[in-house]
Amino acid sequence: MNLYRRELREGRRGLLGWAIGVAAAVLLYMPFYPSVGGPELTQTYIDMFPPELAALFALEGLASGPGYAQSTYFGLLGFLLISIAAIGWGSRAVAGAEDSGTLELTLAHAVTRWQVVLETALALLTRVAALCVVGSVLVWALNGPAQLGIEPTRLLAVTLALFLLTSVTGLAALFGGAVSGRPAVATGLGALVAVAAHVLDAVARLAGAPWLARLSPYHWAFGRDPITAGFDLGGATALAAAMAALVLLSGWLFSRRDVGTA
Amino acid sequence: MDTAVQALGLTKRYGATTALAGLDLEVQRGEVFGLIGPNGAGKTTVMRLLLDIIRPTAGSATVLGHDPREGGSALRRRIGYLPGELRLEGRTTAGELLRHFGRLSGGVAKGTIEGIAERLGLDLARHVGKLSKGNKQKVGLVQAFMHEPELLILDEPTSGLDPLVQQEFLSLVRDAKARGQTVFLSSHVLSEIEQAADRVGVLHRGELIRLGGVEELRAGRQRRLRATVRSQPGLRAALESMGRVRGLSLVERDGEVALTLSFEGDLDMLVKTLARFEVLDLLLEEQVLEDAVIDMYRNEAS
Repeated sequence: MNLYRRELREGRRGLLGWAIGVAAAVLLYMPFYPSVGGPELTQTYIDMFPPELAALFALEGLASGPGYAQSTYFGLLGFLLISIAAIGWGSRAVAGAEDSGTLELTLAHAVTRWQVVLETALALLTRVAALCVVGSVLVWALNGPAQLGIEPTRLLAVTLALFLLTSVTGLAALFGGAVSGRPAVATGLGALVAVAAHVLDAVARLAGAPWLARLSPYHWAFGRDPITAGFDLGGATALAAAMAALVLLSGWLFSRRDVGTA
Repeated sequence: MDTAVQALGLTKRYGATTALAGLDLEVQRGEVFGLIGPNGAGKTTVMRLLLDIIRPTAGSATVLGHDPREGGSALRRRIGYLPGELRLEGRTTAGELLRHFGRLSGGVAKGTIEGIAERLGLDLARHVGKLSKGNKQKVGLVQAFMHEPELLILDEPTSGLDPLVQQEFLSLVRDAKARGQTVFLSSHVLSEIEQAADRVGVLHRGELIRLGGVEELRAGRQRRLRATVRSQPGLRAALESMGRVRGLSLVERDGEVALTLSFEGDLDMLVKTLARFEVLDLLLEEQVLEDAVIDMYRNEAS
């Protein structure tokens, strides 16, 4: 676990920065629910937007406390911020180290390719989990004062969904790097997965095509509204399977290729 | 079992480019073997293949009795490697980074890191990112030597080191040899490793074109001479009569002649020829192997 520990130690500052960002997102949005939210107030708001836009950002959810937290933080800003952080870590894990030339020396030691993939993936998951916990602890702290009315177990459920979803985007970036060794490919693939997941889900709702949503990891995470309906075993399983597939494919393909010649 | 490194038809191609073309080579245990060649000759490719960082297109390699890929991390634990393009990053100090590599190698005897660092004059408290190229090279050397591996694979170990540190490096190599460790190192010039190497191979465009003891290669070494000589008739004729002179240029100015030439072979003849003239300045240096020289080796061989 030397690589895991070193990855976390080297990334301390970055993690702190992202945690501040996530905290700011929660602290800037949650306290305003009593003033912008509530059933009547919100409907006049929503009517101001074209229906497509309202659907894209799930504005109808603003009418309740949990819906507000979902639409502003879990489904939007939290997803966005933590995905970007995860994609950055995933891209650096293999592709970044390979591109900068430091991976060659690491691999020349008593380290296997699988070990590099598994330990850096684990470091990524640890940091993503830390950000999700920071965000949700603050939501919990504001639950009473901001009259959000989120049930504790439902908060756990949505936190898990956010963790799994952003882990998928981060691991997609790691996979892109493990295959290609190029940071641009890694970051691009991670971003593509994140954006495609969100857009597919929104388009499916707009077009009334539920089959389309089934392709979207975003839908797997939030399609059954864990913040009001609780744990969604099917969605969580799909996300966990995607994570496992990405890690296994990364390890397998990375073990088979040349390093440092991309 | 007494072969440390063996290559059989070892080949690496990248698309249409051939980086290494069927290398056959044996390095015995306890030997110090030097691989000489200009940049792009394939030295780094050989070393990366031995460490399983890249995989051969054809042929095979055996390192300490194992295929590099099959041997995996257990094999690499027994090797110390200095990459040719050493990149060190991080917010840690040199000492912390070295301890990290030590843990990856399965532990380093207490005091070893400090001992080697002191010999090379490396400050372990400095941050890795702020080290000069030469100091980074020292970090690279410490991590290669510190776990006293059976085999040291050092790609251009002397690059970036000042002459004093180069001497200390050579003494590290001698100590390693005395302990029975095998050293496989490379350089673009013979002079930087000739004091350490028992045998030398010359690599050019992916092919091993010459293999022999240091003495043999030293005799055929290409040297570049720059001198200033008092003007005197017969200088050009005398120099040309030596043979094995290339790129002779004489520039006369104010009664002095600035001359440059490339010379291969018996130095004694060169010195005695020059001694007939009044030498005002003299500089003799080893020349990086040039294509023309390589071709000469080839023609001799065939």
